[in-house]
Amino acid sequence: MAPSGDQQAWVIPGGFTVLSLRFSEDEAHAALHQLCVKEHRIRSESNTHRPLERTLFVLNVPPYCTQDVLRHVFSRFGAIESVELCEKPGASESSDTSGYFRPAQTQCFRVAYIVFINASGVRSAKRHPHTLPLIVSCAERPVRTGVHKWIQQYSKSLVKASSLQQHIDQFMNEFDRRKEEEAELQKQEAEQQQEDEEGWVKVAKGSRGAKTRPHSERANQRTLQKEDRKRKRKELLNFYSWQHRNTQRERECVCVCVCVCVCVCLLNFYSWQHRNTQREHIAELRKKFEEDKQRIAVLRAQRKFRPF
Amino acid sequence: MEEPDNIKNDEGMENKSAKQSKDPKRKANDTVSDGGVLRPLKLSKKELFKAPTVEELNQLKEAENLFHCSILKMQMEELLKEVALSEHRKKLVDSFVQEVIDSLQSVPESEVVELDDLSWLPGVEVPFLLVSLASKGKFHMEPPASIDVVGSYPLGTCIKPRVIVDLAVTIPASILHPMDAINQRYPRKRALYLAGLAQHLCFSESVGSLCYSCLHGNRLRPVLLLKPPGKDNSKVTLRIHAIPPPDFLKPSRFHPRKNNIKTEWFTGVAKKQQESSGPATPHYNSTVLGDHLPLSHLQFLSAISAQCPAFGDGVALLKVWMRQRELDQGAGCFCGFHASMLMAYLLSTHKVGKTMNAYQLFRNALHFLAFTDLTESGITLARNPDSKAPSLQDFQEAFSVVFVDPSGHLNLLADMTAFTYKQIQHEASLSLKFWDDPTVDGFQALLMTSKAMIRTYDNVFQLSELVNLQASCKKLSLLNELMDHSGNYVLSALPFILSLLQRGLGERINLLAHSLPQDPEWPVDSAPPKHKDQPPLNIGLMLNLEQALSVLERGPPADNPKADEFRQLWGSRSELRRFQDGSITEAVLWSGNSTCQRRSILLEIITHLLQLHADIPESCVRLVGGQLDDVIKVSKEMCTTGEEESLKVIQSYDDLSRKLWQLEGLPLSITSVQGAHQALRYTQVFPPVPVKLLYSFFDRKNQLGLVPRKEKPCPYYITPIKVIVHMEGSGKWPSEHLAIRHIKAAFHISLGELLYKLHNYKCHATPAYLDVYKDGLAFRIQVAYHREPQILRESLTPEGMLIYRENAEAQALELETQHKPFLTSNLHGLQQQLGCFGVVCRLAKRWLASQFLLEYIREEAADLLVASLFLHPAPFTPPSSPQVGFLRFLHLLSTFDWKNNPLIVNLNGKLTAADLTDIKNDFVASRESLPTMFIATPTDKKVSVWTKKAPSVQMLQRAIILAAESLRVLETHLIDSSQKQDIRVAFRPPLEDYDVLIHLVPQQVPLLAKAVDPPAITFQKGTFRGEPSASGGALPVIDYDPVRLYLSELRDAFGDLALFFYDQFGGTVIAVLWKPTAFEPQPFKTSLMNARRLEVSGDVATTVPNIEAILQDFRIIGEGLVKKLELRTEKWAV
Repeated sequence: MAPSGDQQAWVIPGGFTVLSLRFSEDEAHAALHQLCVKEHRIRSESNTHRPLERTLFVLNVPPYCTQDVLRHVFSRFGAIESVELCEKPGASESSDTSGYFRPAQTQCFRVAYIVFINASGVRSAKRHPHTLPLIVSCAERPVRTGVHKWIQQYSKSLVKASSLQQHIDQFMNEFDRRKEEEAELQKQEAEQQQEDEEGWVKVAKGSRGAKTRPHSERANQRTLQKEDRKRKRKELLNFYSWQHRNTQRERECVCVCVCVCVCVCLLNFYSWQHRNTQREHIAELRKKFEEDKQRIAVLRAQRKFRPF
Repeated sequence: MEEPDNIKNDEGMENKSAKQSKDPKRKANDTVSDGGVLRPLKLSKKELFKAPTVEELNQLKEAENLFHCSILKMQMEELLKEVALSEHRKKLVDSFVQEVIDSLQSVPESEVVELDDLSWLPGVEVPFLLVSLASKGKFHMEPPASIDVVGSYPLGTCIKPRVIVDLAVTIPASILHPMDAINQRYPRKRALYLAGLAQHLCFSESVGSLCYSCLHGNRLRPVLLLKPPGKDNSKVTLRIHAIPPPDFLKPSRFHPRKNNIKTEWFTGVAKKQQESSGPATPHYNSTVLGDHLPLSHLQFLSAISAQCPAFGDGVALLKVWMRQRELDQGAGCFCGFHASMLMAYLLSTHKVGKTMNAYQLFRNALHFLAFTDLTESGITLARNPDSKAPSLQDFQEAFSVVFVDPSGHLNLLADMTAFTYKQIQHEASLSLKFWDDPTVDGFQALLMTSKAMIRTYDNVFQLSELVNLQASCKKLSLLNELMDHSGNYVLSALPFILSLLQRGLGERINLLAHSLPQDPEWPVDSAPPKHKDQPPLNIGLMLNLEQALSVLERGPPADNPKADEFRQLWGSRSELRRFQDGSITEAVLWSGNSTCQRRSILLEIITHLLQLHADIPESCVRLVGGQLDDVIKVSKEMCTTGEEESLKVIQSYDDLSRKLWQLEGLPLSITSVQGAHQALRYTQVFPPVPVKLLYSFFDRKNQLGLVPRKEKPCPYYITPIKVIVHMEGSGKWPSEHLAIRHIKAAFHISLGELLYKLHNYKCHATPAYLDVYKDGLAFRIQVAYHREPQILRESLTPEGMLIYRENAEAQALELETQHKPFLTSNLHGLQQQLGCFGVVCRLAKRWLASQFLLEYIREEAADLLVASLFLHPAPFTPPSSPQVGFLRFLHLLSTFDWKNNPLIVNLNGKLTAADLTDIKNDFVASRESLPTMFIATPTDKKVSVWTKKAPSVQMLQRAIILAAESLRVLETHLIDSSQKQDIRVAFRPPLEDYDVLIHLVPQQVPLLAKAVDPPAITFQKGTFRGEPSASGGALPVIDYDPVRLYLSELRDAFGDLALFFYDQFGGTVIAVLWKPTAFEPQPFKTSLMNARRLEVSGDVATTVPNIEAILQDFRIIGEGLVKKLELRTEKWAV
């Protein structure tokens, strides 16, 4: 509900002050958006971008409010150092891409971090009464939306190949330089790890990025598997040697009847094998049967067997 | 001591197995209760490896050996259970039959009157059409000599849902005269007797409703249909036949060569010279003879069926099969009785064994039908016919299809046309093919899918106002046939008209079929309907697409004796023409430049032939659904549906591709050029059409290109056609994503420069793509590097370990650069094989778009849906015309069980049967995590990339409902000749369900002229007539669509509150639907404040959507595009 006093700021539970925002003074734009503002207070984010004292945190910024528009609208509370727009409250997304390669922004409602030059800007914004709406688009500084804006966008998307090429060259040069530096660094470290004349290796606490080749997940798994296999083979070998010893001991006593035994064993084994394949076959059939039965039950429940 | 032990053991075993057999059932029930979804089945090892019982072994063996798999056996059993009569129903039938018999026994006698005198029958009409009025004879009523239940019911082959019990009432011999067979006297007496019975039954309490019909469309054999009163009304129909006493008339009198209707009596004109005998009347003869035999046929069939335990089930399956193909009713049908007789024939000739099961009987019957041509060589059931019985030769001459009954005198299929039999043969061989194919669900295709004519045949022509056939009979001089069919001019003329069409259409068609004239039903107190009151006759054609649309019909050389025949067939259309190879032949040339125009050639041929030879006016012949392709016509002026335009686009692309390959001086070479746009696989709804631009309409930005002007309407929309160019892999590629993007941009620039330098194409390079303006078309070339998706997936953990994680960006890239080109080339190939694919696809997508669904079901998914119709047409053949393809698309969308089945599109037939089972098992195992609409292809077995994000369950549900409704509306509209056909009905979306309608300014809608109902006014779009130049000129405005930009902004801003719907092909309305939960107040949170309004009460702050501001934002964001908002506030308030 609106606050009682007309000229007072409307502060809601949670400490936010509600400001109202109007698109223009045109009568057609009478409906207001409600911006919630508060001083920025999250300590972990108190980096240089958003100094605690001077930063105003704004919620519910409509999509047509660009950085420039916000700068203009909020400049009535004091001079502004910077305006930052994010999709979600939280740490600023590091976007090192610039110019042509910046990803397209989504046109959604956003949050803004407005940094004033003086802390007084934040205070005066928080004191602003809710009944006096801020105006987005005025006669001197009209904000373009709709067809107008899209044509501008289209026009902007036509870029000169030469300037694009220039940009690319610049980036690639920088990229190559960075790569070279990295390579240099690695080389130095490798040199450092070489033995000196007396056979000593200097062990230094290397930085994290300086590893020669990063381990990949897959390589890790491969080595684990390899070790596993190795262990198994070892066990098997142990078993064989034990078996071997055992049979040698036995051989001495049952040398004679082995021949007969083997024959019988083999026969037994064959018939067992045969039985086993049959058993397997039946099991498979059974499994399929049960699966099909289930499928039928589902279809029956859906009355899928009524042909007409 | 041992024996009891053993028994105990056995019992234990049985108990155990019983328990176990119960267990899975319960499991199955559990799964069913889970919303009818299949779950992976887990069976314990113990259960699987337990000792089998003999019975179980036998069952498993049978399932394995006789059926493809056990599921088919179970399906058959379930089906038979579903169609068999329950005991309860049987009791009901029995008691009803008994009641009717009782009341029939008490028919009072009446006085003897003249045959013409109908005064003794007040309140009841005689079910007989009097063609020739005069008839001598006496008639009186008497109780029936005997009443017998005959037909399928006593035989046990009666199936639901149309339960018909035949009751044969024997007319006492005293009513009939031995000479009654001549001149329709007997059929008249029979009709009178039936009317007498009807009059008596009118007052019976046990009868619910009473009406007349006739047997298999034969008006000489009227029957009386009785239904029980009350709620059992629909459960059973009793059909009363009046039959003469057995052996009343000698069968030899009804030899097919004999005459039993005198010409002078029929025409009423006395002839001067008396011929010894008139023309043969085989159909009339078989009609009368057929009445004599029901009892003996029943005896014969009972004897046969007693020998073979599965006889009833086998016949039931055959009946279901026939019924799904609409072959079991009407004149010249193959009804249940014929099915039983066929089975009896197979048994008696040992083509099937007595111990075979129902499935084997059915399969053998189909096999027999598929490979035996009864039109060429008839079959007979008569073991040792008496000497007077006609020979097969006699039957063959008189009838087109021959199947002689056990008595040796009657042709059971006397009324069937050769075309119907060919249709049966075609269906049977098709069914066998599906059954032998392990990738097709044969059960579903053969027995569960109804093959309605309109969805089966490529073209269906409707012959209305059948009264015109009377004139045809005269023109074709068919007096004898007319006499034979007792004045039924439809049945008399039909075979002649059909063979005329067959001759005329020749190579253009694979199959000609016709609907069977249905049995009329009429109440007992009204006169029988006339022949002309019949519903229209449908003629279905299965096209041979290679020939069907050819404009030239080349005849024999002028000096060939056959030339006369050709000239006679085509009349004045036939001309002598000289061809390039020097030959001079008779030929008929039809008009038509585009495929769209050529589709009407068949209609032209048919109307021409019918008018010329059968005096049927043009207005009576109609192509069902021929107007469907109107909605995808390229423009009002040009009569083309885009096939030619698509072809041009592809030719231009091929040229570009060649030029790209030939480029020299690139740092890395090109390894592939692939199309990745629907226009390059013939499935773009409105393929791009090159236009000439009016430069004064635009602004210019330096040398870069044209820019739309604010005050002018939105310019002509130029579709960018996406082409993927893969560059070779090399060590030079950086391994960082951002750097790769820069390199790609550099490639775009250098490709553009080369193309401009060598071919003078206007190019425009951006970081993401290169636009090339060529032949009036815009190609959007995107350079790709095959390792890029992989690099996108890489990331480094803090420990320095390289891990691969799936992410959206990589998937999107993979979709664009790998899946899309693959799909495009595959579907391009499909179009080459099956020429109708593209147009069906475009029609289907036009419908999806018009119903606001195309943004939710991706174009590629829709393409695959249509591709499945072509690759897996069972039980049909691949569609060869747009209308049938479209109807089947709607049917597929509305009936497919997405919850339990993956739709598998076997492109290029790369998937084997084992693959299919794998896909199905994987699908069942992880159903919950898979998309609602799961489409698997050879390269995408587990993910269904095209439907991963959308549609949601709700959208799919809506699509299904809309498809079912559209199908219903369309089918009734198309088949009903009385209504003016407005097929656009199915393309107009229902708007009443939406909450807000945003009406757009028509000038700013780029594809306005393509709307379903194109507006009368069109706006200048910056183009004028004429061919654009192949290269040069300023770069036009490419891909500028304000409505799409507006939609994407709306969705970005308000996507979590509302859904936005739009028809991207010229729609002028955006429909908005609030999400159901959008209006619930939420507690205040910093993450949940977007477009919301605060409400504070005490210490609690809640938020609700700021509706007024949102609606105002709709206007602000769409400044210059939005005309007005229409609020539908019934369900919500501002």
